[in-house]
Amino acid sequence: MDVSGTGIQEPFDLIRLSLSERVFVKLRGDRELSGILHAYDGHMNLIMSDVEETIMIVDTESAMAGQGVVNVAKRKMEMLFVRGDSVILVSPPSRT
Amino acid sequence: MTDARAEPPTEVSPPPPPPPVQLTGSPTDFLKGVVGKRVKVRLVSGVDYQGVLSCLDGFMNIALEQTEEHVNGVVTNKYGDAFIRGNNVLYISALEAL
Repeated sequence: MDVSGTGIQEPFDLIRLSLSERVFVKLRGDRELSGILHAYDGHMNLIMSDVEETIMIVDTESAMAGQGVVNVAKRKMEMLFVRGDSVILVSPPSRT
Repeated sequence: MTDARAEPPTEVSPPPPPPPVQLTGSPTDFLKGVVGKRVKVRLVSGVDYQGVLSCLDGFMNIALEQTEEHVNGVVTNKYGDAFIRGNNVLYISALEAL
C-alpha cells in the first residue's frame, strides 16, 4: 500500500527513517520537544538527546483581562526518556 | 448472457447496480479507500491536521504528508511529514472523493 513512492508502508516507518535525526515531538500538556531521536518502541516510548523542551503556559488571570495569554518556558536536557502515552505527534526532518 | 450468481429465483428483478460512489462498506473499507487522499484528522483535543494520508495501522497511528495543523480554524504549523499516535485520534474525514 505504498502511496507516493516514499517507501512507507506503515506509520512507524516514518519514525524508523528519523533515527539519529532531529525530530519535533508534540506532547500532551502543551509541551513540545526538539531533539535527536535515538530509539523508540511500539508504545512510542522515545530516547532523545540534546533536547530542548518548550512549555506553553496559559495564564488564566491575564487571559480574563484580555492580555497576552501564553507564556513560554524552555529548558534543555542532555538525555531524555519520553513515555509513549504522552506523545501526540512526531515530525521528522523533511525528507528531500 | 449467463448469470453466475446462485440465487433463488425471485419475482422482482434486482435493483440496478449502485453508482460508483461507494456509500456502503465497513470502516475498514473506508480507511483502505482513503489512503493516498487528502484528509482531515481531528484529535480529541480539537486540533485538526490536514494532509495526504500516507498510511495507518491497527492502532490508528497515522502518517501524514504535507500536513497543516489547524487550531480554531487557523493554520498554526506545517510539517512535511507527521506521525500521529493513534490514541489521540477522534476522527478521519476525507477531503476529496474516494
